[in-house]
Amino acid sequence: MLPSLSGIALQTTSSILSSINYNDLLTIMWVASFFVFFFYGTRLQTYNALREIGSGLNRLKVMKDKARKEAIDYLVNVGKAPNDPAQRVDQFLDYVTIMPVDMDPAGIVGKLDHIVNTNNDRVRTEVGALLGQSNQVTVSISENLLEVATALNQIHKIVRHFYLLGKKTNSYFTLIQLQMLMPMIIQEADALLNAVDSFKLGQPVGDGIGPVIVSRYMAGKDKRVIAKDTVLAMTEYKGRKLYVVKADGPMAYVGQPGVAIRKVVEEMGAKPTAIVMIDAALKLEGEKTGEIAEGVGAAIGGLGIEKFQIEEVATNHKVPLYAILVKQSLVEAITVMRKEIAEASDKVAQIVNRIIEEKTKEGDEVIVAGIGNTLGVAQ
Amino acid sequence: MMSPVPANDKKSKLLVYSIEECPVCGQKSKRPFVVGDYVTKEGAKCTKCSNATKVALIYAESTKPSG
Ligand SMILES: [Zn+2]
Repeated sequence: MLPSLSGIALQTTSSILSSINYNDLLTIMWVASFFVFFFYGTRLQTYNALREIGSGLNRLKVMKDKARKEAIDYLVNVGKAPNDPAQRVDQFLDYVTIMPVDMDPAGIVGKLDHIVNTNNDRVRTEVGALLGQSNQVTVSISENLLEVATALNQIHKIVRHFYLLGKKTNSYFTLIQLQMLMPMIIQEADALLNAVDSFKLGQPVGDGIGPVIVSRYMAGKDKRVIAKDTVLAMTEYKGRKLYVVKADGPMAYVGQPGVAIRKVVEEMGAKPTAIVMIDAALKLEGEKTGEIAEGVGAAIGGLGIEKFQIEEVATNHKVPLYAILVKQSLVEAITVMRKEIAEASDKVAQIVNRIIEEKTKEGDEVIVAGIGNTLGVAQ
Repeated sequence: MMSPVPANDKKSKLLVYSIEECPVCGQKSKRPFVVGDYVTKEGAKCTKCSNATKVALIYAESTKPSG
């Protein structure tokens, strides 16, 4: 009995196998995979997204840890911090700035200005208290390094939040959106981390092109502090009186050009017939680094406080605003100034002179403001 | 859907230079950046007219052709 049964079994198996040809097998597999992807497609993509975001998140963690370590090393080695600053730095990284309510937006710029100033003041006093010396350049660089570390810490936290939220709720759409944004987030984080190297060496950054250009107008002139971290020099060009404004270098300051311009007009009684602003601007992909664009309007970035103040003064006193922009990418703006950007300075100075000659007459007064971080650029 | 996260470009190194310019004769000289340099800082004596030069620019050049 036994041998014959197994014989039959063998026979049937082989006959079934021989009756299925290669094409049928492919068809079965194709239909099966169709069902697998139909029912489990999003699950597979979710899994893929989780894996990719996870590896990006690890990179962000490495970056934020590196920025924190660099800041601490700088505080200890250059800033000669007497005590171990690690604990204070960690508190610093989690410090929050609460934005004013915008349900009733009238007067919000003043409130924002107040909050930002409070924050800047506390950063400087806290950093000053951490350091064992009071060199202004070192203090300002420490402030900037801590800001970079804070920004990277925030980016990491937010990405981690959405990653864990998406994972917990198995939310396909949360994860896919995050996955799509990841390359840009990593690029921005990379730019921030690269900035650390330029900052700790005190090298001018791409954003400092405005200050580089106006520092030439200030050479050999008397400078005085006109607003917090901001200096003013008066000079002359072809019979016009120039009020030249920039942040106080070579510290890593951006200053308060808005306050400075308002004071020149409202407190010093200047009657400018033009305000010329020089700033770095983000280029679009495909545009060349160091390209120059001319325009009208207040050339200044940031939260918009300074921009608002300058526009208000210009509007109230009917002063035309002229802008000259030097194009660069985000990473170029916050890392050591590239040759292409530096070499735009001669051309920009010519444009400033041309604007002054074309738009004003002899005996007129003109404000020239170089906007940007003035690290490594004195006056 | 491979993520196109850009890898750190380690191949092109940036070399940073300080450009010293003589305010009298306009002669320029280029030397490597040293910590403590800043724009408008006094530099070495001009080799032509021995006036004090000033750092006019500080910039980075890529060792790789830019692109
Ligand atoms: Zn000379």
